[in-house]
Amino acid sequence: MLKVSVVSPEATLYEGDATSVVAPAFDGEVGILPSHAPMITVLGQGTLRVNGETLARFTVSGGFVQVVDDVVRVVTEQATPA
Amino acid sequence: MAKGRELVGRIKTTENTRKITRTMEMVATSKMKRASDRVASSRPYAKALGDVISSLFNAELAERFPLLRQPAAEQRAAVVLITANRGLCGAFNANLIKEARLTVHALEEQGVQVDLHVVGRKGIGFFRYVGRELTTARTDITDKPTATDAASLVEGLMADFAAGLLDAVYIVRAKFNSVLSTPPTTDRVLPVAAPTRSGAGRDYLLFPSADAILTELLPSYVRNAAYRALVETAAAEQAARRTAMKSATDNAGEMLNILRRTYNRARQANITQEIAEIVGGAAALQG
Repeated sequence: MLKVSVVSPEATLYEGDATSVVAPAFDGEVGILPSHAPMITVLGQGTLRVNGETLARFTVSGGFVQVVDDVVRVVTEQATPA
Repeated sequence: MAKGRELVGRIKTTENTRKITRTMEMVATSKMKRASDRVASSRPYAKALGDVISSLFNAELAERFPLLRQPAAEQRAAVVLITANRGLCGAFNANLIKEARLTVHALEEQGVQVDLHVVGRKGIGFFRYVGRELTTARTDITDKPTATDAASLVEGLMADFAAGLLDAVYIVRAKFNSVLSTPPTTDRVLPVAAPTRSGAGRDYLLFPSADAILTELLPSYVRNAAYRALVETAAAEQAARRTAMKSATDNAGEMLNILRRTYNRARQANITQEIAEIVGGAAALQG
């Protein structure tokens, strides 16, 4: 399982476990599964999908994703649930 | 009973004032609650951003980024003062203005040319009054500041700094330590003082590259510093207003006690005197 948090400057939009995360990176979508190597990548614009108990979708723009030890942090300038 | 009627009037006005200040206290309390929630929910983002920047940061990279440029000597600096749009919050605005004046004064002593940017009607009013020219004056930021407000506040300053027109940018704001402790503080936001890393960093896969990530994140870091300054000042304003209104309500209560006591004493004295007169009159008739 991945521990996922989605934070924007104004609020934490998601905090919880998930089996996979698909994020809109600057050059296309990046999928993250458990045991991913440590990674930091810049985000572009698009839809972030978090497969937790239910599928959560967010429209994000700018920021980055950090993956380390099955902890995924999506840190974005603008995020709205979609 | 002329004095009595006058006292009744004063008691009424004091009661009305107390009603108003009590309501303002309650409004400020609920606003403060929401504002301090906003301060708390801005923390995870700031922390995540600081963590990543510190794990990517090294001295050799620093020289390539305009936002990290350390000018040899400060010649021109910008001071951004954040105040409230409204008063009736005790010494809150006065303290911030004082802090800003000290900062500006200290910089000018060192021969730095200072541009003053002021947010909030109270700060603008003061500097207009003392006749100091303001580079920008904004009143459009409400007590629920957004990240967009913060971005618009520092975007121009970042561009000027990157272009070498400014050598430093300071923000004067209230720090929201707790409801009771909101001291005015001055933070230097530019050049960015990169958070230092504790312990060894991880080896990350970096897409596209450390440079590109920092190029993206450093402006975010500065915008976030401005955002935090705005939300903390907004929360501190409500805290200050609550305290001010609470003591106003308490003082009104004390004043009412004294007025009521004076009024009752005057009323009793009056009655006593009337009785004495009647008794005196009756005694005279019998005699």
